[in-house]
Amino acid sequence: MSDVSNIGDYKAEIKKLVADIAEKSPEEIKDDAKFSEDLGIDSMMALEIVATIEKKYKVIIPEGEIPNIRSLQNIYDLIGKLIVK
Amino acid sequence: MEGIWDINKIQEILPQRYPFLFIDRVISIDVAAGNVTCLKNFTANDYFFTGHFPGKPVVPGVIMIEAMAQASIIGFAAIKPEIANKHPTYYLGKVEAKFKKAVTVGDQLIIEVHKEKIVNNAGVVTAVAKVNGEVATEAKIMFGVILNNSTDK
Repeated sequence: MSDVSNIGDYKAEIKKLVADIAEKSPEEIKDDAKFSEDLGIDSMMALEIVATIEKKYKVIIPEGEIPNIRSLQNIYDLIGKLIVK
Repeated sequence: MEGIWDINKIQEILPQRYPFLFIDRVISIDVAAGNVTCLKNFTANDYFFTGHFPGKPVVPGVIMIEAMAQASIIGFAAIKPEIANKHPTYYLGKVEAKFKKAVTVGDQLIIEVHKEKIVNNAGVVTAVAKVNGEVATEAKIMFGVILNNSTDK
C-alpha cells in the first residue's frame, strides 16, 4: 500500500484500474462519466472494480455502498473516506 | 475448518448433475478466511476423454474452468448459506485463466478457492487447481447469483 496521504495521489491509479476493467484507455474516462450509461460498466464489472480496490488499498467497501458507485468521482469520494485520514 | 461435505451435501448446493458435476468432495471450508478446498478425481470412465483426445486423454480446459466455477459456488454457499439454500441461479460473468499443466486420467484435482469479494448477488474469487501440489490451472472468476421466484427447486 502506498503511503501517500492525499486522495489526489490515488486518482491516477484508480482511473487506470477502472480503465483496465472497462477495457478503455484512462483518457476516455472522465471523472463524472456514468459507469453504466457512458462506459458500459455493468454490475459485475463494478464488483470487480470494488474487489480490486479492496485488495490494492487494503480497505473493505461495505456491500451497501456498491450500488452508490456510479462514477470515478464516487470512488474517489469513497476511498477518500476509507483511506485518507 | 468446518468439516467436510460429501457428494450428497454437495448436490444440495450445486445445481449441476452427471455428467456435468465436477466436485466429488469438499475437503475444507474456512469461512473467516474466505477459503474452500474441493476435490475432483478424473477417471478413464469420464466421457470427455473419448474424444479429448483419442489415445491421449486430457481434461478439456473448459471443464477445468467449470470445476473451478463449481468450487466457487461452494465458496459462495459457505459464506452466504442463507442465499445458497434458496437454490439461486449461478452464472459466469468473466474468467481470466492460465493453464499451466495438463490434467489426465488418474489425476486427483485439488481446487482451492479464495474469496476476493462476495456479495448477495455476485462474487469475485481466485481459484487454483492443483495435481500433486503442482498448479494445473489458476483463474480469477467473477460470477453472478440470481434468486429465483420459485421456491420449489
